[in-house]
Amino acid sequence: MKIVAVAACTSGIAHTYIAKEKLLKAAEAAGHEIKVETQGTVGAENELTKSDVAQADVVIIAADIKISGQDRFKNKKVIEIPTNVVIKSPKGFIARVEELLKG
Amino acid sequence: MDLNKIIREERINLNLEATTKAEAIDELAEILVKTNSVSDKAGFIRDVYAREEIGETGMGGYIAIPHGKSKYVENTAIAIGRTKEILEWESLDGKGVKFILLFAVPEEAKTTVHIKLLSQVASTLGDEEVCARLLTVESADDILEIMTNH
Repeated sequence: MKIVAVAACTSGIAHTYIAKEKLLKAAEAAGHEIKVETQGTVGAENELTKSDVAQADVVIIAADIKISGQDRFKNKKVIEIPTNVVIKSPKGFIARVEELLKG
Repeated sequence: MDLNKIIREERINLNLEATTKAEAIDELAEILVKTNSVSDKAGFIRDVYAREEIGETGMGGYIAIPHGKSKYVENTAIAIGRTKEILEWESLDGKGVKFILLFAVPEEAKTTVHIKLLSQVASTLGDEEVCARLLTVESADDILEIMTNH
């Protein structure tokens, strides 16, 4: 499936980027396409385009704070979790996303 | 990107004496003071603990990334240390910590090259293999090599 994600954490320095990396690795290992936008101290990087969002089967928001641009995802299937869930168990999380989408 | 701008030998101690989390943070903060990154150790440490209050900085796999965004930080830097024993430290896998990367970030930090480098270091820690290899590195060069080739 096609996944788009946004990662953001409280101080915008560490967890955001660790979560991004874990999401990328776990999703790709499971055979999915994924693009992860990070919203950190340096601002937004790897920003999701309208077409990224339009084509996505699911939106993952791995964030400990309110993200900017949440309204981009209205009418999409959105899964919101704290960064720690992704960092702790990325493969398990992706497996749960797969189940949710099936059901 | 040039990680060698932020992974600096003078800020790495792979033989920390610390046997507790508090001692480890103190030892690493001391390095940051001596290398002109932090102006006030006690003030900086308070800001590091303010971040600890928000949630675990132990990422699992014995690695922790405490970080302080603090007005006592003059130059963005990372102090890296490894302890002999596993320290009790709030971590996602509950196993404690022995490899610590203490990030020092100025309060007014915006888009700077150094903050980008920090985020790049953090990204490498999302790779379990990088984390596993860090536990047995022997030098600053080893750390650089592992992170650069990630």
